[in-house]
Amino acid sequence: MAEWNAYYQNEEEDLDGEEGEESGVDYKTTGRDSLVFLVDASKEMFIKEESGELTPFDMTMQCVRSVYTSKIISSDKDLVALVFYGTEQSKNPRNSFKHVYVYHDLDTPGAGRVQDVDGLRGEDGAKVAAKTMGSGKTNLGEALWCCSNLYSDIKLRLSHKRLMIFTCRDSPHEGDSERDRQARTKAGDLKETGVVIDLMHLMKPGGFDVSIFFCDVVSPPEDDAELGLQMEPCVKLEDLKKRVRAKEMKKRSIARLNLCLGEGMNVAVGVYITALQARKPNPIKLFKDNNEPVRTKTRLYHTQTGSLLLPSDTKRAQVYASKQIVMEKDEVDVIKKFSDPGLELIGFKPMERLKLHHHLRSPVFIYPEEEMVTGSACMFTALLKRCSERNVFALCKYTRIRNSPPRFLALVPQREELDEGQAQIAAPGFHGIFLPYADDIRTLDTPQLPTASDSQVDKMKEIVQKLRFKYRCDAFENPVLQKHFRNLEALALDLMAPEEIEDHTMPKIEMMDERLGSLAQEFKDLVYPADYNPEGKTANKRKPAEAAGGAEKKPKVDISEDELRGHVQKNTLHKLTVPILKDACKQFGVKVTGTKKQELIDALTAQLAN
Amino acid sequence: YAPSWGESALVLCVDVGFSMSNSGPGQEPPFEQAKKVIQKFVKRQVFAENKDELGLVLFGSDATKNNLAKDGQYQNIYVHRNLMIPDFGLLEEIQNDIHPGGQQGDWLDALVVCMDLLQNETLGKKYDRLNIAVLTDLDSPVSPDQLDIITGNLKRAGITLQFFLPFPMDTDEAGGGDVGGSGPPHGGKGLSREQQQGLDLVKQVMMSLDEEDGLDEVQTFSDAIEKLSVFKHVEKRPMAWPCTLTIGSCLTIKIVGYKAVCEERPRKSWSVVDAQTHQKEDVKRDVVYCVDDDEETEVPKDDTIQGFRYGSDIVPFSKVDQEQMKYKTDGKSFAVLGFAKQSLVVHHFMGNQILKVFAPKDDEHAGVALSALIRALDELKMVAVVRYVYARNGNPQVGAAFPCIKEKYECLMYVQLPFMEDLRQYTFPSLENNKKYTPSENQLSVVDSLIDSMMLVEENEDGEKKDLFKVNHIPNPQYQRLFQCLHHRALNPSAPLPPVEPWLITALQRPQAVAARSRAPLENMKKLFPLKEVVKKKELKTSKELFGKGDVYRTAVWKQVGLQNSCLEKGRSTEQLFRKGKVYRTVVWKQGGLQNNCLETGRSTEQLFGNREVYRTAVWKQGGLQNSCLETGRSTEQLFRKGKVYRTAVWKQGGLQNSCLETGRSTEQLFRKGKVYRTPVWKQGGLQNSCLETGRSTEQLFGNREVYRTAVWKQGGLQNSGLVTGRTGFQILNIIVTSLSHIINAILRD
Repeated sequence: MAEWNAYYQNEEEDLDGEEGEESGVDYKTTGRDSLVFLVDASKEMFIKEESGELTPFDMTMQCVRSVYTSKIISSDKDLVALVFYGTEQSKNPRNSFKHVYVYHDLDTPGAGRVQDVDGLRGEDGAKVAAKTMGSGKTNLGEALWCCSNLYSDIKLRLSHKRLMIFTCRDSPHEGDSERDRQARTKAGDLKETGVVIDLMHLMKPGGFDVSIFFCDVVSPPEDDAELGLQMEPCVKLEDLKKRVRAKEMKKRSIARLNLCLGEGMNVAVGVYITALQARKPNPIKLFKDNNEPVRTKTRLYHTQTGSLLLPSDTKRAQVYASKQIVMEKDEVDVIKKFSDPGLELIGFKPMERLKLHHHLRSPVFIYPEEEMVTGSACMFTALLKRCSERNVFALCKYTRIRNSPPRFLALVPQREELDEGQAQIAAPGFHGIFLPYADDIRTLDTPQLPTASDSQVDKMKEIVQKLRFKYRCDAFENPVLQKHFRNLEALALDLMAPEEIEDHTMPKIEMMDERLGSLAQEFKDLVYPADYNPEGKTANKRKPAEAAGGAEKKPKVDISEDELRGHVQKNTLHKLTVPILKDACKQFGVKVTGTKKQELIDALTAQLAN
Repeated sequence: YAPSWGESALVLCVDVGFSMSNSGPGQEPPFEQAKKVIQKFVKRQVFAENKDELGLVLFGSDATKNNLAKDGQYQNIYVHRNLMIPDFGLLEEIQNDIHPGGQQGDWLDALVVCMDLLQNETLGKKYDRLNIAVLTDLDSPVSPDQLDIITGNLKRAGITLQFFLPFPMDTDEAGGGDVGGSGPPHGGKGLSREQQQGLDLVKQVMMSLDEEDGLDEVQTFSDAIEKLSVFKHVEKRPMAWPCTLTIGSCLTIKIVGYKAVCEERPRKSWSVVDAQTHQKEDVKRDVVYCVDDDEETEVPKDDTIQGFRYGSDIVPFSKVDQEQMKYKTDGKSFAVLGFAKQSLVVHHFMGNQILKVFAPKDDEHAGVALSALIRALDELKMVAVVRYVYARNGNPQVGAAFPCIKEKYECLMYVQLPFMEDLRQYTFPSLENNKKYTPSENQLSVVDSLIDSMMLVEENEDGEKKDLFKVNHIPNPQYQRLFQCLHHRALNPSAPLPPVEPWLITALQRPQAVAARSRAPLENMKKLFPLKEVVKKKELKTSKELFGKGDVYRTAVWKQVGLQNSCLEKGRSTEQLFRKGKVYRTVVWKQGGLQNNCLETGRSTEQLFGNREVYRTAVWKQGGLQNSCLETGRSTEQLFRKGKVYRTAVWKQGGLQNSCLETGRSTEQLFRKGKVYRTPVWKQGGLQNSCLETGRSTEQLFGNREVYRTAVWKQGGLQNSGLVTGRTGFQILNIIVTSLSHIINAILRD
């Protein structure tokens, strides 16, 4: 089963680190992202709409919480702040601003902060808010000024600064033009320093009119099209969360490359990752006396002389057929190079030539970079439009970085789609699907089995129809990650027990059985004979071993030195099983570094050939 | 050909007789071609490291060595190698020791020797396949009287046969060799009588072994060479994953899953060896842990515990607790959660494999049940959304099982789907709704003509579709290249690596026909779509560009030794520079430890320093002070925290340096603190204090003033331009000037 297991130990194990992979973003080089939630704490925020289930304030807090936790899970270096305006009480670094309450300074969110926000949720939360902050006069200008101080107090390099205003009042100063003007000025100052201001407007009786005031405060949309603020206010928590999520993360390309259509025809594109398997973060080592992190130092020593080895004192080697082949480290790197980074158009193919099983890793997303080559967006748009209309995909050779070997991508066009609220549900651009090489496709022995009759298929169709549901790609949380972080949360906050998670990956057996009713039995009657047990052998097989307590191991086979030498001479060691080889290694005192069969064989061969 | 998963034994039976050396003018003799075939074949076997055993028998050789040679029988047949796993030794032997013989050999006799060899050597062992490959020009007399016995024996022993000939099989009686289109053997002469007779015999043997299909196993040398150019990756035996598919609690179907598509990675990784001895054992990797205090105290591994970050918190979390509290699964699972429309599932496939799910081989009832599901899904255009767990305590996945119906089989195809945490739902600015980017009708039509000209799937007259560029037929170029280089290095240890093989380059390029067709539409595109590269000053990357800016810089810098120009590079590429090898490094060492940190950005320096004693010593010699200059505030901070050694060195340098221990901001504060610090600072001279500041804050502190520039030149300001990384290198002068002015201003204020 080694091969299957290999799937779970991921690429990280690959010492060569082959392609360093297109994972996270390096904060050291790009700086950190920051996000300020500027939340209206006026009385109106605590009034529930007739139709709504939550007050606007409650909805906002839930949203903030979900951003906090998702930051902890997916980008724990980002800075987040929570600031209320329109409060009675004031609390800010120099207490120079009235009616502004900095609940959380710009910092990385931790367990404590999540708990704080939790404390502001629900009816109890409203009481807490009323007690600590209260609702008072609104001065958005002061609030924005305060926020700009939060940014300037940060000594870290910030790469992306965003501020989100949550409110249900379209005219916060109730027509006080002086305060309106001040707010506009401050907003302008903020925008000038690179802060992007978004409005998360919530439902207001009589409708939220952006044009009264907020249109001058928020940043213009990225695409400076006339669109922009047409969006309806959020009524549902889901919508709000979605809207916040879409804005909250800075789009970062993993590469900016030229898409070369032909000689001298380079369209600049960015390569984005829109889906990446989130993993449990790596553990860090702590000194047990004080729980402080320790630093890990790795050094290479010369075993004989004990001196430290510099990278130049080493080379790389592989052994084939008991011959060692040695290369310099940079030779090893450079043999991976075929061409300079870029996307090279090979041609086009009809979409039906792209097979479902052409999948090696999650696709990348390609979008033009007008700032690198002007004219890119136009040509890209033309290509996207025609590929989509003609139902073809573009085949490209993709070299991500200098020493990465080429892969072929199928660039599948996706045109923009908007929902009723003008929110984007599909972004315009090409999906880059990684195509397998000949080596990546396995040859299988396919069993020859009878096929089902029409009546059997029809019965199954009934079953399928009964268990239909509308799949949404964000419907499933990863229970492993959720559990892990709940555990950490519980430990960090000294909770008695971690919060239970709901595991959506488990089938809802009862509901399914109920919906199926007698269908399951009817189908079984149609396909299985009476004496057939479909749960079958796999379960049975295991039982005897378990009954024997698993103690029943295969008898040890010792192998004589002569036999072993014979195998070595004839190169037939591989005919022995791994346990025997391991025993042999022990027996002859051969040190082995790995547990792979080939490594055992190599080690034994090296020892016994002399 | 059909995959064979078990091990096989194969005998290469090569004709080295004198006729093999005959060739027409400009043609490669059959002997050389045959040698190439076996070389390529053996090479492939060696690198594939599969366990197939290989024997080599020569006939037509001057010497005789075989078990059957007695009483003048079976002469001129030489068993060069018994069955063994092929190695580099064999490759070398083929290259150096196998020469054309001067005799004629009877290929049927040779076949008998090979059979005898196979049978004797495989006695008592199990092989999935026994095979003899005969490479000959058939141009020698044979005695066919034993033919039936031979074929009978081959059949009985289950030995398969392959022939490789210098000419195609359909080079028939015509004699002119104009049939089949390929060149006639032996310089324009037709087949000799022996060859004609031999060809008939070959056909007879092959037909009797495997009827019509048998003839497929007769190939020409050139075909074989072409095919064998590709290093085939070892076919792995597919691992069966037996499980049950469940729908609710009472409907179950037995299934078996196989990995069908998965990125193949090299089986071997590079090990680190000592550069002189080439011994792996001479290199030992040593990992130590140290507390982040002044002494950089090392702590034993046992005194460390495991923890995780939870946002800003660090949570100690022992392995035992983690194991106890983690999410657990109770065994393998392929449980249907529900069914959904196929169109909702496409895009965002996750994971790195595709599984094909079948019913077990011998279970026709499961086959029927699964078939019903597959067909139902196919007709409804739906998928099963399933929970997939590979094994007990494996991580659960949610995935989609697609129906897949092929001519020969049907199955479910499973692919992993994303979890909510995996998605980054970016919004991108609209393209088509943006007037600025809307293409005109003209532009669209020229794009159309480009697509037309570059279609890779063509239909021929018979309505058959032909794909000009099948990625799944291209071998992974990375491994082709790797094995090419390994092979070259194995046989020529001191020669530089060869260039990429031409066939591989061609295989990765736009097909020539398409390239030619697309030329005109591309020209039109160029006219209709103006593209202009935006030059950003900030992104000057190469030293060349930087240096181009002014002669003053250049001369000064070159004087400082060629090395520094690497400073002008961005951190990352510098780092790579260093990796490049000895030449650079030697230069660097000569320059003393100092400079090399200049070549690095803060981050890599940090790593450098953390890692190596040697560097550090070099740095001390240079005086602790300078190295702080090499760093931006942040990394210095980290550097200095590292240990006493640093600090002491720094103290010796005078009071000034302690400010180096602080980040820019706190230095600032330090300075405000009082005179004690200040005096030594002035003594040290103005230049150094630029070290105390991060680029940014210095810059902000004071404006640019002509007066101080002279002072800077005197101080040899250019030297420290080397100390700054590429990006700041551009602003170097400014920084120096402003930092100086800072000090002088401070003095004035004092």
